[in-house]
Amino acid sequence: MSAYLNDVIVSTHNLCKRVVTSDATLDILSGVSLEIKAGESVAIIGVSGSGKSTLLGLLAGLDSPTQGEVTLAGARLDQLDEDGRARVRAGRAGFVFQSFQLLPGLTAQENVMLPLELAGRAQAADEARDLLVRVGLGERLTHYPRQLSGGEQQRVAIARAFAVQPAILFADEPTGNLDTATGARVIDLLFDLNRERHTTLVLVTHDEALAARCQRHLHLDGGRLVARD
Amino acid sequence: MRLLNSMRFAMRLLRRDWRAGELRILAAAVVIAVGSVTAIGFFSDRINSAMTEQSADLVGADLRLASPQPLPPDWLQTAAADGLRQTQTLSFASVVVHGDALQLASVLAVDPRYPLRGTVRTAPALFAPSTAMRGIPAQGTAWVEPRVLQALGIAIGARIEIGTAQFTITRVLTYEPGRAGGPFTFAPRVLIAQADVARTGVVQPGSRVTYSALFAGTAADLTRFKTWLTPRLEPNHRLLDVRDDKSNIGHALERVERYLGLTSLLAVILAGVAIAMAAQRYSERHFDMSALLRCHGATQRDILALYLPQLLVLGLVASALGCAVGWITQEAVFYVLRDLLPAVVPAPGVAPVAFGFLTGLITLAGFALPPLLRLKQVPPLRVLRRELVPLPAAAWAVYGGAATAVLLLMWRYTGNITLTLAVLSGGVAAAIALAVLAGALLTLSRRLPQRVGVAWRFGLNNLLRRTRTSIGQILAFGLALMAMAVIVLLRTDLLSTWQTQLKADTPNYFAFNILPQDVPGTQRFFTAHGIQASAIYPLVRGRLTAINAAPVTQAVTKEESDNDALRRELNLTWTDTVPPDNALVQGAWWSGKPAKNSVSVEERLADKLGIKLGDALTFMIAGEPLNARVDSIRSVQWDSFHPNFYMIFPAGLLDQYPATYLTSFYLPPERRNLLTEMVHAFPAVTVLDMDQVLSQVRSIFAQATSAIELVLLFVLAAGFAVLYAALAASLDERFHEGALLRTLGATRQQLRAAHLAEFVLIGVLAGLLAAIGTELIAYLLYTRTFDLEYHFKWPVWILTPIAGGILIGLAGYLGTRRVVRRSPLAVLREL
Repeated sequence: MSAYLNDVIVSTHNLCKRVVTSDATLDILSGVSLEIKAGESVAIIGVSGSGKSTLLGLLAGLDSPTQGEVTLAGARLDQLDEDGRARVRAGRAGFVFQSFQLLPGLTAQENVMLPLELAGRAQAADEARDLLVRVGLGERLTHYPRQLSGGEQQRVAIARAFAVQPAILFADEPTGNLDTATGARVIDLLFDLNRERHTTLVLVTHDEALAARCQRHLHLDGGRLVARD
Repeated sequence: MRLLNSMRFAMRLLRRDWRAGELRILAAAVVIAVGSVTAIGFFSDRINSAMTEQSADLVGADLRLASPQPLPPDWLQTAAADGLRQTQTLSFASVVVHGDALQLASVLAVDPRYPLRGTVRTAPALFAPSTAMRGIPAQGTAWVEPRVLQALGIAIGARIEIGTAQFTITRVLTYEPGRAGGPFTFAPRVLIAQADVARTGVVQPGSRVTYSALFAGTAADLTRFKTWLTPRLEPNHRLLDVRDDKSNIGHALERVERYLGLTSLLAVILAGVAIAMAAQRYSERHFDMSALLRCHGATQRDILALYLPQLLVLGLVASALGCAVGWITQEAVFYVLRDLLPAVVPAPGVAPVAFGFLTGLITLAGFALPPLLRLKQVPPLRVLRRELVPLPAAAWAVYGGAATAVLLLMWRYTGNITLTLAVLSGGVAAAIALAVLAGALLTLSRRLPQRVGVAWRFGLNNLLRRTRTSIGQILAFGLALMAMAVIVLLRTDLLSTWQTQLKADTPNYFAFNILPQDVPGTQRFFTAHGIQASAIYPLVRGRLTAINAAPVTQAVTKEESDNDALRRELNLTWTDTVPPDNALVQGAWWSGKPAKNSVSVEERLADKLGIKLGDALTFMIAGEPLNARVDSIRSVQWDSFHPNFYMIFPAGLLDQYPATYLTSFYLPPERRNLLTEMVHAFPAVTVLDMDQVLSQVRSIFAQATSAIELVLLFVLAAGFAVLYAALAASLDERFHEGALLRTLGATRQQLRAAHLAEFVLIGVLAGLLAAIGTELIAYLLYTRTFDLEYHFKWPVWILTPIAGGILIGLAGYLGTRRVVRRSPLAVLREL
């Protein structure tokens, strides 16, 4: 889905995030400016504590910057309040997390249905089933997260992320909790779906194999963008 | 999201949560709250109307209006138009003559509709067993109290004269509705048909006659008529409503109602605490869901639109279930108690159901809403950083919500502002003080010996590490224990008060007119037959004529100038010791001091007539004035069935006046024949049968007792709900901790022992808090609300900590069994 094909879907200008603790002020991000085009796949890389997840959170509008601009799908996130940012995300953004973030009380199918139901889709159950079939979990619709392996849980999470056909997908260490082989299968799935659905992919990773599959890398060091390729 | 969609989505989420077991405690707590409220509502509704009906039986009507003049016909027409049944009676004092013998009697003339409630009982001969009568004396006949026969020395079939008319005595009148109270103070009753009144020629213009109208009907009709009537009443009209009758039975009923109200209130508050804890946990377990939804574009309003309908639907469904539980419970209780209860117990009204729903929703809103509102504040960034949680619900919101809910319910429930404020302010103050105290106790337990064993040390440290949670838990458990202790205490003391009042050997006969020379003989008679009798009191008749030298009619307020105590001669007595059912309220008793002109006045009469300590009272006794100073004011337990008096003098002061003696005694039914023997031995003695009154009072107390036992169960259930909710609230953390510890090599036994130690300690601390709170609240309730004598409740201080340790230790031990049962891997994988 890409109304923004070849357009800039997310951009930042001079983005800063500062946290004030009891005894010090910490600049987690400073002066980050970037542009990501629709349909691109971009990896944000860097050592632990370099500010990768913070940047991802700001790009997705999950948090607000201390300073600077963030634009997602044409909307200035930094000028919106939390509810305003939520409205921008609704139906446009999908998420995949390191810890999967499946709700333990819901079955695989219900977990995938969640964003569909939130968007008021009448055929949520069918769509969720189709997606789970697509990620190879057609036999496990009624299983609960605890009955699934880590790789399977992440596939459910990916199915959920693609459920509303988002224009952009944010992924935070999607293979971080998985072994190499399982991680590889999950990466394949992610990129297959990305290609099929022309989704923009922005991911944070330590996984070099995963980073290598992305078209572009944003390298963070001490909260600053040091290299782009 | 569109409204309909969000509604559908909300219901789906609700179903999923239900299936996942997330809502069980919340729902169970609502069911318990509503169940107890409706069960108690239904029960007290029915018991109350049954009991009111029974006290109406004692009065003979639901409403009695008395007047010295004939009642305006339009009043009676209005009563009829309001759907009330009615009958009129006429009573007057008259001398009854048989040959040369005279006796002053109180004649009651009734029409065939009399009585409207209850039955008249008569016997075929003096002291023969009595039977319930239908109808009234036929014209030309009279039913008379045994005293008339005794005084005139006649038997059934004798003819007597009242005024100019002759009557044949056909029955001995043993019980007349409306004569409960101190009948021995009146002249004996003669019951005749109203049609005979004219024949006697006694009722002439200006003669002293009391015209009464008795009314009976439904509560609504009575209230309507009473509302209409009240503004029209003149000072010399007296209206008695059984429902606000403060006689012995009325007083007992009132205490039962207060007790029931208080108890259901406590059940609701406890359930509220359980709801708050469960909601807290529910909310915390839904942070992830909320963050995820926010992350997918749900606004704060969307989140509310998802969760509020869930809460509402949950509240409605659980309330409906609670109503059903309440209804079934009270039906079951009525079935179990069917032998104790009156044959026809009125069906319950619908009001308890409506109030049950209201309670469910208000409790849920007050206790569950504040923690649930946090869900909309979950930052979406939580999906990346799990440690992010919304700010805790503001304290004012949590406690404000709860306090408002409780206040609303209490107000509706008790309709009694004193009780409401006593419990609420006491509760709030106690909660604050106890929270501080719980913190202090926790700090103190740091000093507990640490070397007793690893399990103990671990359990103790567990408690100390989570200070806030621990304080909350101790407080919740403490509150539950306190509520249970207060209710059990009150129940025990209320019941034992009644039991001492109505022991099996409570006097059921009064003997009076005992001549001074017959006193030793009467006492010997009692001893010889093993009859247990009250002390024997001298009786001198006198009238109170002046207070502080002002004639009483001027000294007292206008409405009291018609008080029976002023119209009639009073029974005056003397004694040097305070009678057993009396307690000094003000002033001092004269024991040991030389006799002087002192008098001790009964509290309520003193209050009504405005008599104060030190006032000078003037009595007219046998035509001579006697002055006495009020030395003390006494409270009197009038319902003890022992002789009791408004005015008591020191011995010696009344010596020069003619006196007779009075006592009461217990005689089992099978020994009734002794009465005849007694009357033969002491012909002057008059015996008054109180058995009927006594058994009515007993049956009312029995029902009250069963009601009290029932509500106790609900408080216990609510207490256990709190226990369970508090336990469940800490379960998630315990699962995690337990799993981690086991991966680190802790054995199951060690973990379980640590849990046990922790919960026992919590239980003991909670028990200590409960003891403090119980002492405080019990003191307030006993002295301010229930009119019970208060003693330091030392057993509470020992029993509640022990009970707390055992109960909570056991519950915790069992409740956390799952923690060590599940494999650590399974637990850790879920996190």
